[in-house]
Amino acid sequence: MVDNTLDFYLPNELNASLPPEERGIRRDHVRMMAIDRNYGKIQHDLFFNLPEYLQPGDLVILNNSRTIPAVFQAKNLSNGKMRANVEVRLARRITEDTWEALIVQDYTKIGDIFIFAPELSAMVIGLKEKTPLAILKFEKKGSDLLNMFYSLGEPVRYEYINHPWDLDYYQTVFASHPGSVEMPSAGRAFSWELLFTLKQKGIQVDFIQLHTGLSYLLDDKWHQTPEENEEEYHISEQTQQKIIATKTAGKRIIAVGTTVVRALETYAISGELSGVTNLYINEHFPLRIADGIITGLHEPEASHLDMLTAFISKQHLLQAYGHAIDAGYLWHEFGDMNLII
Amino acid sequence: MKNKVVMITGASKGLGRALTLAFAKEGAKLSICARSESDLLKVKLEAESLGAKVVAVTADVSRSQDVDRFVSVTEAAYGQIDVLINNASMLGPSPMPLLLDYPEEDFAEVLRVNAVSTFLVTKRVSLSMLERNQGSIINVTSEAGHIGYAGWGAYGVSKFAVEGITQTWADEFSETGIRINMVDPGEMDTDMHKLAVPDCDYPLAKPEEVVDIFLYLASDRAKSINGKRFSAQSEEEV
Repeated sequence: MVDNTLDFYLPNELNASLPPEERGIRRDHVRMMAIDRNYGKIQHDLFFNLPEYLQPGDLVILNNSRTIPAVFQAKNLSNGKMRANVEVRLARRITEDTWEALIVQDYTKIGDIFIFAPELSAMVIGLKEKTPLAILKFEKKGSDLLNMFYSLGEPVRYEYINHPWDLDYYQTVFASHPGSVEMPSAGRAFSWELLFTLKQKGIQVDFIQLHTGLSYLLDDKWHQTPEENEEEYHISEQTQQKIIATKTAGKRIIAVGTTVVRALETYAISGELSGVTNLYINEHFPLRIADGIITGLHEPEASHLDMLTAFISKQHLLQAYGHAIDAGYLWHEFGDMNLII
Repeated sequence: MKNKVVMITGASKGLGRALTLAFAKEGAKLSICARSESDLLKVKLEAESLGAKVVAVTADVSRSQDVDRFVSVTEAAYGQIDVLINNASMLGPSPMPLLLDYPEEDFAEVLRVNAVSTFLVTKRVSLSMLERNQGSIINVTSEAGHIGYAGWGAYGVSKFAVEGITQTWADEFSETGIRINMVDPGEMDTDMHKLAVPDCDYPLAKPEEVVDIFLYLASDRAKSINGKRFSAQSEEEV
């Protein structure tokens, strides 16, 4: 359960509705608030100067899962009646041909058919209790199914976005494992130039995959706890070795994003390099691998904020967020960055 | 080449088809694309009959959305990409008009299909290669992309761009394990050559006869070669 949540007032104008490139700045030139984990001391900088905050031997771990189109309009065939333009949002892959999906209509039942295009339909084979999520079994699978998703779908966009930005805006520059329904956005501010600079300075860079699920079910009455939000992750043996070597050398592991923290700490507990995680991290959670985090700025009461309190105290976090609001930092996937180290 | 993932654009005809079948014989896993679905599926079946695993995606690589779809489907199917051959190209109007007479829209279209596509596919595929810090990219160029010839119109200009892209990227990749080179296959007996030289009266190589240099550049034997230009039909030994 999510315990006492972190609340604050976020002015509307601090929701980043434009990608940085459309605000006239490079993706790696967004702002960065660096917070000292122990004392809460704050520094304001540009993200491009990140290497100055790290040391040779530190290991930066990024999530290179790639965002796929996950929003569709379908016809719903139920009890012999056809309903047009029902929105379907992919929430999580279950198998090669089966997905959990949010169906944006009041009533869905087992046996309903969704027709996405003449070549693609799916049947409801299960319903997730007390949620608007259904289990859809598609007629196609694997590569053929993904090909259809790309041909028919749109990226997930939230209410503070008022322009239909292409899927390309919802990608990090290193995303090469398709499977996330929402962008793992903490990595968005990295450019290849910045990654090459880190390497030149002896700072290690490596990748894991965690395919993100749908975080918001479009109505506040449906609240998903982290324990209910299962996500698929994978860490390579090579990365595992790097983590061990970095820790042994007394250097730091910097996780880029809450998804990376979730994958690394799941591995730390279970020892499993691949699997599904529903780990919930809060102030009581003893971090075993992540020594620092690079992340965006999170909404009031978001469970991501609870995770940040595993790195710094609630008091320091709320103070820093207050500073960020005063300084006009921008929130969400197209916004500014936060380094906690 | 056993189990290496080789991606070839414009694989339904001519050199692209010959490369697909050559890599299939070597045991590579293939991912191929072309604009024409029926021709592409024929090549897929031919390669599969040689024992290869093939992902075939109908796509226009001058459109970034198609590029993302093609590459993402490949990444999801194989988990990695080892070799990319940017082969897709078009000639433009035939017989080729002088640049002086070249219709503006056709000029832009040829540059988009031949040069912009090379940029788009390389940019997208190199992410997968950079993750593992290895990979070989081979761009198909032309003698007309090296020396300007009257009458070779937008096609020649587009291949000059491909050569520039290759050199620039080779420099950017120089600190990585990725290499990018280009091959001028020389004149071949293909549909495109019939459009370029409609009344050709001299003997031409078959596309199957020029594939060796591509197999070599794709292999680990060429690991140290980056930013070089090769002529498939020249007398020189590599």
